[in-house]
Amino acid sequence: MTNSIEMNKRPRRRNDVVFPIVNTCILILLMFVTLYPVINTLAYSFNDGTDALKGGISLWPRVFSLQSYRSILQDPAVYQAAWISASKTVLITLLNLFWTGMLAYALARREYVLRKLITTMLVLTMYINAGLIPNYLLITKTLHLSKSYWVYIIPTMFSCFNMIVIRTYIVGLPDALVESARIDGAGDIRVYWQIIFPLCTPVLATVALFVAVGSWNSWFDTHLYCASKKNLLTLQYLLKMKLATTQASANAGKATAEALANSNSTKTTPVTIRCAITVISTIPILVVYPFLQKYFVTGMALGSVKG
Amino acid sequence: MTEYTQGVKLRTGKRKGFFRQLAGQWQLALMSVPMFLYVLLFNYVPMWGWINAFKDYGNRKLVARGITPYNGLANFKWLFSRPDFYQAIRNTLAMSVINLVFGTVSAILLAILLNEVRNRGFKRTVQTVTYLPHFLSMVIVVAMAQNIFATNGPINALLTGVGLAKTPIFWLGEGKYFWWLVGVINVWKEVGWGTIIYISAMTSIDPSLYEAAAIDGAGRFHRIMHVTLPGIRSTFIILLIMNIGHLMEAGFEIQYLLGNGLVASYSRTIDIFVLEYGIQQMDMGVATAAGMFKSVVAIILLVSANFIAKRLGEDTLV
Amino acid sequence: MRKLLSILLVLAMMLALVPAALADGDLEPITLTVFRGDPGDQPYPDNKIYKKIEEEFGVTFEFEFLAGDLDEKLTLMTQDLDDLPDLFDGGNSAEKLIDAGALINLLDYVNPEDTPNLWAHIEPQKNRIITKDEVTGEDVMYIIPNYGLPEGPQIALSVGGPAFFIQKQVLAWGGYPQITTLDEYFDLIEKFLEANPTNADGTPYIGFDILCEDWRRFCLINPVQHLMGHPNDGEVLIDVNSDDYPTETFINRAYAKPYYKKLNEEFQKGIISADTFVMNYDQYIAQLSTGIVLGMFDQAWDFGNATNALLTDKKYENTYVALGLVYDEDDVAGLLPEGWTIEEHYLNGSLPNLDRGFGISVSCECPERIIAMWERMMDEDWQLLFNWGVEGEDYSIVDGRLIMTEEQYANTQDIEWQRHNKARAFFESSPKRQGWILEGDLAGNCWEPGNQNEIVFGLMNDYDKEFLAAYGYSKFADFVNPPIELAPYGEAWQIDKAPIEKDYNDFLNIQDSQLPGVIMANPDDFDAKWDAFVEAINPSCEVYSNFMHEEVLKLVDAYYGK
Repeated sequence: MTNSIEMNKRPRRRNDVVFPIVNTCILILLMFVTLYPVINTLAYSFNDGTDALKGGISLWPRVFSLQSYRSILQDPAVYQAAWISASKTVLITLLNLFWTGMLAYALARREYVLRKLITTMLVLTMYINAGLIPNYLLITKTLHLSKSYWVYIIPTMFSCFNMIVIRTYIVGLPDALVESARIDGAGDIRVYWQIIFPLCTPVLATVALFVAVGSWNSWFDTHLYCASKKNLLTLQYLLKMKLATTQASANAGKATAEALANSNSTKTTPVTIRCAITVISTIPILVVYPFLQKYFVTGMALGSVKG
Repeated sequence: MTEYTQGVKLRTGKRKGFFRQLAGQWQLALMSVPMFLYVLLFNYVPMWGWINAFKDYGNRKLVARGITPYNGLANFKWLFSRPDFYQAIRNTLAMSVINLVFGTVSAILLAILLNEVRNRGFKRTVQTVTYLPHFLSMVIVVAMAQNIFATNGPINALLTGVGLAKTPIFWLGEGKYFWWLVGVINVWKEVGWGTIIYISAMTSIDPSLYEAAAIDGAGRFHRIMHVTLPGIRSTFIILLIMNIGHLMEAGFEIQYLLGNGLVASYSRTIDIFVLEYGIQQMDMGVATAAGMFKSVVAIILLVSANFIAKRLGEDTLV
Repeated sequence: MRKLLSILLVLAMMLALVPAALADGDLEPITLTVFRGDPGDQPYPDNKIYKKIEEEFGVTFEFEFLAGDLDEKLTLMTQDLDDLPDLFDGGNSAEKLIDAGALINLLDYVNPEDTPNLWAHIEPQKNRIITKDEVTGEDVMYIIPNYGLPEGPQIALSVGGPAFFIQKQVLAWGGYPQITTLDEYFDLIEKFLEANPTNADGTPYIGFDILCEDWRRFCLINPVQHLMGHPNDGEVLIDVNSDDYPTETFINRAYAKPYYKKLNEEFQKGIISADTFVMNYDQYIAQLSTGIVLGMFDQAWDFGNATNALLTDKKYENTYVALGLVYDEDDVAGLLPEGWTIEEHYLNGSLPNLDRGFGISVSCECPERIIAMWERMMDEDWQLLFNWGVEGEDYSIVDGRLIMTEEQYANTQDIEWQRHNKARAFFESSPKRQGWILEGDLAGNCWEPGNQNEIVFGLMNDYDKEFLAAYGYSKFADFVNPPIELAPYGEAWQIDKAPIEKDYNDFLNIQDSQLPGVIMANPDDFDAKWDAFVEAINPSCEVYSNFMHEEVLKLVDAYYGK
């Protein structure tokens, strides 16, 4: 955490020398174990599709080819879809943080009279599900949200799990912080935004990551409600479709060796397309991640705020 | 604040006090009621769908003409007349317990190890690398696992090489290994991701506690046991309660992909059972009945876990 | 000023009249919403075929393809019958659309007078295509089959469906023998393996693969009917020579046992490995693609990808030939149903793809316009445009023959090229002419490039040419008997099993979990395991057999117009 322990000049124990070495070794080993599937996926994505069918590629492509990426990225629809995905992800993340944070604060206040009722009702939603059809009818027939951009936003503005995570964090904060503010005469809304919200940065960053990743990776809402609208397709949906078409067309053609050699599309196969899709859809998350990670790895020095 | 509210309760009747209190807490209400109404609309209004559990959707041609007669508890009776439904319950519980234990322990362990790393760059690198497999699709991960655990794969080569096994072990074809394979693969894929929430919880630990512990001459192990772990205790308890409620969900994709005929009696979860016998056949009656059953069990588990936590003086969900 | 104003007024009136005048001659432009029950690529805006459709018919399309689960999607879409796509292709679950009342009866528009082309197209098979509504008893046709209504003599160049496959090099090594029984087949594989345990790279060969992942379990289950000499009826065996069409599941019968006994023996010999029962489709294709699998039972389309990989590597000797194996009468002596004789028939007559293709939805506002468009599209010029492309660009006509260069043919296989130059998304699900062109200057050509002599044989590699020559055959279909006449009920796997779906699921699950164990059994336990399997599966087999028998009889009655 902080290096305060270092400043304490006490004799070093053997433990202090051995542990960091062992720890580093364990973590490096773990990194290797978890990095392997990632590198393997990368290697496949840069491999020739037909060749990749044979399997056996581990850390480096056997026959290098950009064909899988080309076949995905040459489609102009991908860029429109990426824009839809990115914009809805940002919007949903902001809305979620806005509502969920406030709600978590309200439900963390022990004196709030509606706390039990609201918390119980919210928690139950994690375990009960009405089923697909009633939900579908609510969105389409009652709310008329289908075939519109808002179907991506409105039904996903809130998640109970994230609310609980934030609430737990807020409960863990020293009570004195709130109390001192209350004595100053600040209302709950001000206490939340001025004191609690900044203190919650690590957990809000965590929740932002959960929400953003969930939204970025979702394709089912497009499949159910917007698949007939070319301009509203999301990136994940389009990539899923790409994979599905590669799978479907894989066995369709009666081709000769010469036709195969001349044709571009037969060089993409489900094996490589799937990997290229994974890489393409993960890169934006990788780019954004360090900005969020900064908050929840380092955290805030609580002591300094208190002091 | 707390004393004040109790004071109000004492002075006036409970009902009247409720509205007066609420009026006094209008800011909290403003922060919470809109989302509450939102949840009522999106999660509770569609609950009329549960009525389908008591209807007969067996004949698709009749269903198409809107004829879905009530059949009482027939759908539930059908489910509980199937020995393989009980088998599916057993498999679901077994795999979710294994996942819960393995997943939680590994995530906390990794979080602690990371927390002990001084070098920030290294810490962030490890964190980033370990969470990456979360983004690989299950299809890719299972395909790799199948190669690794094949009879001629590296695991068997290792085991026979060092003499732990005389002949290659048929990991993928024997039911008794299946649950554990699922556990191992899930840990492999999710350990880094599961760590994030604990790492963020560790940021709320007051650094002065570490200083105090150091001054007391506490060793590293002592610090972990008495500062770090208590610091993430409430997060751990709350997640545990929530996950106990989810014990009826063991996932579906990994079993579907990793399973095969030989291990079917160990791999079929409730969700797969419902998919095969309900959803794929458009039998909304059976599918909804199974969903209701799961929800009821989930709520019983949840309430019990919450109750026990309360009794033990731990943080609770509600 | 006044003058100017009146001129403007006249101009404005003239302009207002223009659309009205246009409407008389041309059709008002419309956009049809289209749903396809399978995945697909959106065509590019510059697609030349769709441009021609827009020019002649004033029709543009808005396509939706399937990305998730079909049944789920159809169930949800049919919740609201007022908001359906105009052209509705339900993919492999189109029955659900019909049951849900989502499609209109096309017979209100299709008849010999108004739509002679479409009528002529379905007329030869109308007893299969037109059915009676169960409730009202009226004649109905919801979908015109998208495939399987060819003209002229049946084209069978190769086995596209089920067969026992074997690598060409194995036959060549064995001196091009005639292989007709299981014993001969496995003997040859065993001997080849003994002489060549590994390929040139040192990778061990696999004798025989059995894929049994999910629905592809047919590789494990289906062979018995073919060994009994029957084309593909799915999971039942039907005696077509009896007027009562006795129908039974074959997997639980005494005559199925010799096949699994044989597999058990081969397993003991190491020709089949245990890994085959746990591999998924990708692993299977990977094994086939490396050319190390000597034989398997499968359907040719199921491993097309592996064949492509082998061809790209020019490993022609590792590609496969389809063999029509049957039981040796001695193997099954005393086990056959009464009066049964075994004669190899892997190839069947052309099968109309019933209930597959576009239907017109009840919420479509212009069904007559779609029908009129399809009617016109059945003409030769449009069919050539869809199948062959634009003359001069995509193909040429030389001495009355339709010709494609190697490059032009390669284009047709390229998905990106197709998105600019083919109307796949629309045409695949529309009625189409197949087989031979019978009339006009182009008579004697094929409607589809893939069947055209110049393309099939002109582009064949030398290894295959020599291989066929060694056998004295002209095409790969010569390894099996010519197609027989399609049974009156069609092929029984097409029958929708929804009414008995729960029993059917039991049937599948028991096979999945127990048959591999039977094959891997210790030879002493084989009989006991087989008996246990039969006992476990008998109840669901009985329900399934009875149901299929009833359905088959219904289809036969309908076929004979009863």
